[in-house]
Amino acid sequence: MSGVSGVSGVSGTRRIALWIVSTVAALVLLFSYRTSTMGASGPATVAETPAADTAASGGAAQAGATTAPGTKTYDGSVAETRWGPVQVRIAVSGGKIVDVAVPTYPTGNRRDKEINARALPILRKATLAAQGANIDTVSGATVTSEGYIESLQAALDAAHIS
Amino acid sequence: MLPAPPTLLSVTVTTSSPPRAAVPARAAPPPRPTPSWWGGLGSFAAGLSLLVVLALWTSNGGLRETASGGLPAVTAIGRLSGLLAADLMLLQVLLLARIPVVERAFGQDRLARWHRFTGFTSFNLLLAHVVLITLGYAGTVRANPFAQAWDLVVSYAGMLLAAAAFALLALVVVTSVRAARRRLRYESWHLLHLYAYLGVGLALPHQLWTGADFIDSPVARAYWWTLYVGCAGAVVVWRIGLPVWRNLRHRLVVEAVVPEAPGVTSVYLRGHRLDRLPVRAGQFLLWRFLDGPGWSRAHPYSLSGPPTAGRLRVTVKDLGDGSARVARLRPGTRVLIEGPYGRLTGERYDGGPVTMFACGVGVTPLLSLLWDLPYRSGTATLVYRARSEADLAFRAELDRLAVARGVRLIHLLGPRAERTSWLPAHYASHLADAGAVRQIAPDIARHTVYVCGPDSWADAVRTALAAAGAPAERVHTERFAW
Repeated sequence: MSGVSGVSGVSGTRRIALWIVSTVAALVLLFSYRTSTMGASGPATVAETPAADTAASGGAAQAGATTAPGTKTYDGSVAETRWGPVQVRIAVSGGKIVDVAVPTYPTGNRRDKEINARALPILRKATLAAQGANIDTVSGATVTSEGYIESLQAALDAAHIS
Repeated sequence: MLPAPPTLLSVTVTTSSPPRAAVPARAAPPPRPTPSWWGGLGSFAAGLSLLVVLALWTSNGGLRETASGGLPAVTAIGRLSGLLAADLMLLQVLLLARIPVVERAFGQDRLARWHRFTGFTSFNLLLAHVVLITLGYAGTVRANPFAQAWDLVVSYAGMLLAAAAFALLALVVVTSVRAARRRLRYESWHLLHLYAYLGVGLALPHQLWTGADFIDSPVARAYWWTLYVGCAGAVVVWRIGLPVWRNLRHRLVVEAVVPEAPGVTSVYLRGHRLDRLPVRAGQFLLWRFLDGPGWSRAHPYSLSGPPTAGRLRVTVKDLGDGSARVARLRPGTRVLIEGPYGRLTGERYDGGPVTMFACGVGVTPLLSLLWDLPYRSGTATLVYRARSEADLAFRAELDRLAVARGVRLIHLLGPRAERTSWLPAHYASHLADAGAVRQIAPDIARHTVYVCGPDSWADAVRTALAAAGAPAERVHTERFAW
């Protein structure tokens, strides 16, 4: 406990002023970094255009355009998840699912992109193998998986595949 | 009441000084007693806030993810520890926001100890949060944890701010570890400690923007915003606003400086409308004497006389910590106050017999209580422990109290005992601690007891009091060193 130990008044005040100025400068620098204000504008969700499909996507349970002879595409409903919307599009030929695309999935931050880049191919493969929505969620991507399955089920219903 | 046997405890009653006129009465009545349920409610609210955090986390799937094991469990527990750390940090800010209700319910000595405890606890949780989230995220995408940590800091919303917050809080915690704290000048430590506010504030954005438990839950967002805004408001109103307003209103200045005993000095202060300052006998304020460099450090000094409409008195012992300069204060020096604080007051006094235990300069708040409490003549005892006769302060004033109010004075003089005891060495060798209490007041269980002195001594008194049958709720004590 020492109240006087050798601080001279002038240098003490000057030192405090210097501290305050440095602190404010550091804060300004911190807030000028892009991630320091990005959240204020709300999380971003990017809807990606599917590469293999040129048809306008409709609502749930609406048959899409034909992409190949005998092949029809069906859009699932948009499943709202905690991290953003997920929508699945299936291509059906002869009552079988021949392809799966995911035009919309959460990409609000780097983690979403990383997780979904890993999870979506797994889900797609599983769907083609199971020929239905009875597939496992991907560990570590539970939220996207659940949205995926929900949208997939809607697409299957639209295509009248049980 | 039995007089103490003179062979063991000497009873000193001097009648030579003439009784003095009564202290001028205060214009305003003292504040009403603090309802005892305030403390319970405060503790309940603090516990509830932790439960709310747990409930929000559970409703957001935290428990389910934890039960599922593996990486989701690591991430979920990491989230929970971060949320609890944030909640404790905000509680900590509230603990020391000088909220009058909280001060009166718990007392600043207890609050300061809890503040220290919650501070270290919340920082440990924070460390767990950082490690678990990094590992959990890294595991999910099969990345190197260090690369993941870097990625988290530079590319996630609000995370650079959160990293800065972590660095600031780490700085505050490290400088508060006892070993480091001793090496730092108080002013440096205090300045660094203020960065905790910045740390708490900078942690908020990453919670709101990337926190899994915020993005999806309006309830959680509302809860946290309320907590953050409430804390900021409490600090602005009570930690800053109220002291500023009181100083502008009362404009205290030093009136006189009077030596009381070797190294013990009384300062008399005058100010405007002191009758409107809600201070009670036995309370303390934080004092800043504007007498030059080093003024920025506040010192907790108790009132040593009952507050009156015209003046206040504090008495200071030179502890080698800058309190020596009090003796050199000039009349007219301006003084800034924070407070009043403290629970060592007469608000729980029931009118029955009173016994007070003072050690050294701890006598000061008890002296003001002796003037203030409405006990009947002959029912109050002051046991005053000091190293030697020369170290007794306020001898003349205590003698006046003995005459005017029939206070029984018991001086316990001598060096410290070898064993842990509240008695001086030559009593402690043949007298048990509790036995001495019973000798002073055989009916101690019926007494209102006040204890003020250094921590270890006050602890020894309380142990002795408990052993002698004094119920804990009738023993009032406050630590004056923390």
